[in-house]
Amino acid sequence: MASEGFLGTAAPRYADLVLLLEIAMGLALLIGAVLARKGKFRVHAWCQSAVVLLNLAIVVVLMIPSFYVHVSRNIPAKLGKAYYALPTAHATLGSITEIAGLYILLAAGTNVVPQRFRMTNYKLWMRSVLALWWLVLLLGLATYVRWYVPGVFRK
Amino acid sequence: MPRRGVWIAGAATPIVIAALLLLAMPTVTANREQSSTATAKVTIDNFSFRPQTLTVAVGTIVTWTNGDDIPHTVVSDDGVFKSKARDTDEQFSYTFDKVGTFPYHCSIHPKMTGQVVVH
Repeated sequence: MASEGFLGTAAPRYADLVLLLEIAMGLALLIGAVLARKGKFRVHAWCQSAVVLLNLAIVVVLMIPSFYVHVSRNIPAKLGKAYYALPTAHATLGSITEIAGLYILLAAGTNVVPQRFRMTNYKLWMRSVLALWWLVLLLGLATYVRWYVPGVFRK
Repeated sequence: MPRRGVWIAGAATPIVIAALLLLAMPTVTANREQSSTATAKVTIDNFSFRPQTLTVAVGTIVTWTNGDDIPHTVVSDDGVFKSKARDTDEQFSYTFDKVGTFPYHCSIHPKMTGQVVVH
């Protein structure tokens, strides 16, 4: 039996923990962006890389299994319901964003990506992914509310 | 020949009636069993089981109906019964054939708990 959460909603503990972690990571990305503006590129790189990799671990360990069990089997039949539509949008945009984040990490921080596949406009890529990241975060927050907060969107 | 026909008819009639009665009996028995089986209902509404504690007799069929707009599950704490996720207006039934107290919860929302007391 999953443990009760600590945020006062109907969510299990792991969902509360993931929510707080994701909000913290979203804020960390903003702080990382500020670090880049201040010219502290090395700390910026470490900060953004840590967030992208930690998020990847959370997605693989917790989000994909949960999506498979609770959502994927009801697509596309029940996509008209917010309960399924929100996590589906979150997962779709989130996957694109995470892949884009990993690409930036590899292209900017390593020599793994061949020269011809490397981005030329770093700032545009990074700012776009940061904006997408926050959109995905808001979709995740909406999913949490829809799934675990009683009294919201009642029939 | 007519006397023989009457004799055959006289002998066959009770056999046919007996056969019809035999065929009808299991249906009657089944209907009696069906009508004597106790049932009880639990409604899932606004993230809670209502009633939270249900007391029933042994053999009672308990049916949970999800009245919420999101899916819920009905899972026994002791692993006695376990439903898949039930969406709006979907049901799950379980027959309690043993005496005892059976606490259960929703596996998606651990705060949602209830119990069935069987006597």
